Amino acid sequence: MVKVYSFEACPWCQKVKKYLESKNVAYEVHDIQLNEEDFKACVKLSGDNMVPVITADDKNFVVGFDKPKIDALLGI
Amino acid sequence: MEKKAFHKDIVIIGAGMAGLTAALYAGRMNLSTLVLENGLVGGQIANAVSIENYPGFESISGGELIATLQSQAENFGAVIDEFDTIVKVTLNATPKIIETEEKIYTCDAVIIASGMNRRKLPLPEEKIFAGRGVHYCEMCDGHAYQDKIIAVMGGGNAAVDAANFLTKYAKKLYLIHRSELRADEVSQKRLRQNKKVEVLLQTEIKKLHGNGRLESIDIFDKISGEEKNIFVDGIFVNIGVTPNTQLFSDEINLNPNGRIIAGEDCRTNIAGVFAAGDVREKEIRQLTTAASDGTTAALLAEKFIRSLNR
Repeated sequence: MVKVYSFEACPWCQKVKKYLESKNVAYEVHDIQLNEEDFKACVKLSGDNMVPVITADDKNFVVGFDKPKIDALLGI
Repeated sequence: MEKKAFHKDIVIIGAGMAGLTAALYAGRMNLSTLVLENGLVGGQIANAVSIENYPGFESISGGELIATLQSQAENFGAVIDEFDTIVKVTLNATPKIIETEEKIYTCDAVIIASGMNRRKLPLPEEKIFAGRGVHYCEMCDGHAYQDKIIAVMGGGNAAVDAANFLTKYAKKLYLIHRSELRADEVSQKRLRQNKKVEVLLQTEIKKLHGNGRLESIDIFDKISGEEKNIFVDGIFVNIGVTPNTQLFSDEINLNPNGRIIAGEDCRTNIAGVFAAGDVREKEIRQLTTAASDGTTAALLAEKFIRSLNR
């Protein structure tokens, strides 16, 4: 399952989620402001505390709304 | 794969206040209306925490205002595509042609409401620290600076509003500006009353330091001539904006600052092409004037389209 590390008020996070929905990609929201464990997991994965972070395997990831990279990551 | 072609009465480039207002009006006039946006719907105000100078609202977030406006436009039939990117425009033609990564649109009228981008920090280290201590979106990235030391660079309303917002995270916040503040008095007063804040005017940022991410900056006091190093975990840059007009520079008349030359009627040098919002050359750039431009451009575009169909 695709994970999106994000938080509600982040406009680029919203854009990523809308993009995944437009491509019919199911995803889980991991809210880094509501859940400390998600925040830690996000930092551990990307090495930084920027969001959104998108991953499908907890290894490879994309930071931000970078459409070509997201497409490549998820094989869209 | 060959791109599919579609025809629209009107294509609006940009989904900020001007573009969405134009879309609302165009939709209400039953024009087939497409809005193309490759950044955030809402443009510069998408990140605004609180807007207190839009008539009818004592205080409203940019996200909330834009979401309502987007719904209004969509309810009247406008289609907003925020995932396809324009690669080429041909405006001096009938019909006009807008080519995106995925499609080709022909249309009778175009409204350019492509707005502005934030100016980057003009230091060579910017590329090293972008996203690793140097930021351009306080709403997106501010949360990462809980109990940290933050600097905000800039002296206009956007900078001071960003600083006011970031005080909720920072244990210490510097507002650094090379001259005097231009922000409105209400915002300045709010900032100066906050004990976490230190305002450094007539001060320039000279160099960024850090090992992988930003750790400190060199600042230069232009009055005393003193240069010193201060620890900061992050800088949020708000030093102005540049117009998004590169796509149109071959066909549309621009002023030396890159803004589109068009009068209050929003008409550009090409018939059927209108410029609306901050991208248009004008003295006052506010949300209200962007909405006004969007209205004018849509109504005159409809008149132009009608004249074609006579």
